[in-house]
Amino acid sequence: MPGSARPMLSNDDVSEGERFMNQILRFDTMSTGMEIPEMITAHIMDLGGEVNHHKFLPQFNRFHPLHFFLGPDAGTVPENYSCSSYGINTVGIIRAPRGDGKEAIVLVTPYNSLKITRAEALSMGIAYALFSLLARVTWLSKDIVWLAGDSRHGEYTAVASWLRDYHTASFGDLKHSEICAASNLSEMKTMHNSFRHAGTMAAALVIKVTNRSTEFEKDALTIYAEASNGQMPNLDLINIVNYLAVHGQGYRVKVQKIWSLLNVWWLKSLGQLIEMLGKLAGSLNPQWNFGIPVSEYVECTATLASSLYNQALGVPTGPHGAFRDYQVDAITMEISPKFSSSLNNRQYEILLHVGRLVEGVVRSVNNLLEKFHQSFFLYLLTSPSRFVSVGVYMIAFALLVAPLPLVAASLFSDATKSNPDAEKDKYASKPASTLQPAPTFTSWKWLYAAKQVLVVHLWSAIVTLLPYFVDQIPDSSPTTKLSIWIVLSIITLLFLDSFSGSSFPSTIRSRDTEWILLKSVTVAATFIGLCLMSVINFATAEIGALLLVPMCLTAVPLRLDNKVNTLRALIRGACNVIFIFVGFPVTVFFVLKGALEGFDNMRFGDFWNWAESLWAWNSATYIYMCMVHLPCWVLCIQTLLHRF
Amino acid sequence: MYHGSPLLLSVLGPLTAIKIEGQPNHLLCSLVSVIADFICALLIRATGRILQTARGLNLKFLGLDTMLEDIEIMPSGDIAALVYLWNPFTIFTCVGFNTSPVENLFVVLSLYGASAGIVPLAAFGWVIASHLSLYPVVLVIPVILLLGYCPDTPPRKLFLQRDLQKTGAEGSTKNHVQHRPLTNKPTEATFFWWRVILFFMWASIWIAYVLILCAISVKEYGGLPEMFKRTYGFILTVKDLSPNIGVLWYFFAEVFDFFRNFFLIVFHVNILFMILPLAIRLNHRPCFLAFVYLAISSMLKSYPSVGDSALYLGLMALFVNELAEMQFSFFLFCGYVGVSLLSPVMHNLWIWRGTGNANFYYATAMVYACFQIILVVESVNAMLNHDRKIRKLCTTTEG
Repeated sequence: MPGSARPMLSNDDVSEGERFMNQILRFDTMSTGMEIPEMITAHIMDLGGEVNHHKFLPQFNRFHPLHFFLGPDAGTVPENYSCSSYGINTVGIIRAPRGDGKEAIVLVTPYNSLKITRAEALSMGIAYALFSLLARVTWLSKDIVWLAGDSRHGEYTAVASWLRDYHTASFGDLKHSEICAASNLSEMKTMHNSFRHAGTMAAALVIKVTNRSTEFEKDALTIYAEASNGQMPNLDLINIVNYLAVHGQGYRVKVQKIWSLLNVWWLKSLGQLIEMLGKLAGSLNPQWNFGIPVSEYVECTATLASSLYNQALGVPTGPHGAFRDYQVDAITMEISPKFSSSLNNRQYEILLHVGRLVEGVVRSVNNLLEKFHQSFFLYLLTSPSRFVSVGVYMIAFALLVAPLPLVAASLFSDATKSNPDAEKDKYASKPASTLQPAPTFTSWKWLYAAKQVLVVHLWSAIVTLLPYFVDQIPDSSPTTKLSIWIVLSIITLLFLDSFSGSSFPSTIRSRDTEWILLKSVTVAATFIGLCLMSVINFATAEIGALLLVPMCLTAVPLRLDNKVNTLRALIRGACNVIFIFVGFPVTVFFVLKGALEGFDNMRFGDFWNWAESLWAWNSATYIYMCMVHLPCWVLCIQTLLHRF
Repeated sequence: MYHGSPLLLSVLGPLTAIKIEGQPNHLLCSLVSVIADFICALLIRATGRILQTARGLNLKFLGLDTMLEDIEIMPSGDIAALVYLWNPFTIFTCVGFNTSPVENLFVVLSLYGASAGIVPLAAFGWVIASHLSLYPVVLVIPVILLLGYCPDTPPRKLFLQRDLQKTGAEGSTKNHVQHRPLTNKPTEATFFWWRVILFFMWASIWIAYVLILCAISVKEYGGLPEMFKRTYGFILTVKDLSPNIGVLWYFFAEVFDFFRNFFLIVFHVNILFMILPLAIRLNHRPCFLAFVYLAISSMLKSYPSVGDSALYLGLMALFVNELAEMQFSFFLFCGYVGVSLLSPVMHNLWIWRGTGNANFYYATAMVYACFQIILVVESVNAMLNHDRKIRKLCTTTEG
């Protein structure tokens, strides 16, 4: 049971940590960026740990559309680097007295080596206090790795490049640094250069302290858990941190939420309705107690929306995301004090509390024989202590996409059934033949529609890859790049369309069934795409399904609606046009952005920047957008504009 | 670990060692696969030509050629060759440097030889294909039928009826009915025994040849018994349980050890059980029978790959005219596309991301097997319907 052991972090350790922190803060002007690593090295050596320095270069954003599908690669070192641009991670390792060195727990404290802030120093102090405790405890059975990450190129880069070298055992960056070692890094002892390994990582904790104050009466702990492509760490890790923080140290634990949702009137009234229904149900049968108060409902919804949004984006919310690529459970714990000024005078207290919290977590993980038991990776958070599991949210998604195969099948059977009549007419006109209709590939007619769908998907693959070339254009603003992208896409579509020629051969041309078959194949392709995406990144698929399913299902040629000219047809046509308009990825982006941040400072180029960030983070959402959403949208337009 | 034929290894092995500067390692080997696939496609095309002429002759003999002339006849050989070459599965096997293109080549070679009546070629293809992957052994039945009778025909009973009717008409009315030369007439009586005997003679020659070559090449490594154990034994006892697209690995990973032998027998007899009934029912269409056998064995074999699917899908396209009214074609197409996309994702989820488990991946393997079953059932059904329709047409024209 987590937290059953008495915390061992004593006042001495905390004072050590505080001294360490003050010592770091003394280096306010740094020339080479080597002072802090050297100091940490000296301290860890005193404690009896092992140290090495890990040098790395920033990774540049590269276009890697299929990266999410592959493992993390060894990375390439850019040609034009300078020695001063190296980031230097300091890695300290304590070998467990009772372990066999096969497993490790990682603590990460990012700091900016060019300009260290008080908050960063405090987080390093916490880690050091813990480190000095863990260096002498007897219960340790997993090695402890402390990574003081140099965040001058970003926190994520520091952690990711260290992890890459840890797992590939290639020392790519070090090779290049040998040249540099001759110049300004010569003072480094060579023994610190050899890369030190502990075992496989059981869990990783990123400790951060911020200056931002909370508006609550307690110190707050914010948990960031989303890694790339909506992957989550094992739920048990979040549970342990939450349990220990709330019950052990009296923190207020938060996860991210979308603040603008908290004051939305319709959400509140929905909450009131549910509360009322819950009360009603409770009065009928006391066992039905599903009602929750309005405020809680709104709060949970805002958290859920944020969780869904962050997972759907596929961009990690912190340096912990790098760990997930190596199947290591990791979270970022961000501590924010009551008042922003209190960082100075309450640092001892914060050190003690956070240190004890992390100690408890480390001890819990340390005592595990294997990995976390429950393989609970698929969930959405509604509050730090509550979640929606895959079994629950999949039902909603399944119900959402279930109409797609049904509609595809019914449309398909309609199209094939309506055909024999035409065939019979054809044969009836020939009195000589009293035979049955001979085979004319009636059951293979869908191949022509499939060809059309295939061409559009081929086009979408080209669209996916176009930014790679557009990105090469030097000195152009995002707006121009986006415009070039769109124009090139349209040109390719027109070209491919004319190249592939008329979709249906004249021999079997029956205009009535043509669009039905096209829609059927489109719906089937969309279904496959959505199912695929729901496995890769559920949140994206969920949001995408909300947009695509109505668009696909209502699509009917506008000319047909025009011909019928009833109110129903009119409404259907209007709905179609609205769905198509809203379904365009660029519109979706701007509408969502406007709803969340306001429409004030929005520029056309924002979409390009957003897409760029998606592929820079290897998000599968980008591929989904280009290869599932976009073709479906185009095919729906083709259905709408179908000519009879 | 290589568990294939030592002869193939002596051809391909040196190629894996040669590296061209700045190119991927397996480029030369992939090139071999590409060449094998091209030859394979050409042979499929030639087989399709033979089948099409045979079909035209048969329909003419049955007197149905005028009835069916307004129907579009697809050039099935061309379509089949294109389906084989453009099949994403074929391309994947080339990219991934799989030996299945070579195995497929010999299977198709044997079928081509048999349908063209070139007995030594048929025997050679059959022997090498069986030597490479064991399962093509069952193709001996279609090959014998192909050599004994002619390529695929409508049921032979129809010809017999037609014959009787014609002779009857001749006898009674003494009209000057145009007679076809007897040699052009495929009837039930003509089963060319000598060709089958010749086939077996050639097959034994080739087998002896292959065995001698193998014995020479594995002389230092324990001789032929060891080779049999390492190649066919490895296939039959399912020793390698690493995940593949088949259904056996998971099953044998889970099964208790003392049941293992029993289930090994059950699974392999499963293929053998279906041979005889299918051979009886489809004996007039040996090429189609070969397709059905290949589909079944690719479903139940111990280490299947997508290359096997590529082969039977290519062969299926040979019967595009007969299968024109196959049901569920769209459903099957969607299923194949969906499974072939979902399966790598599930594998990724299980092996790389660790959020899924083996059941996720195995589920797609089972769905894939189900789709293959539906494909086989539906195609056989469509073929039998086609035969029924021809019979109906015959009776109506007679009436």
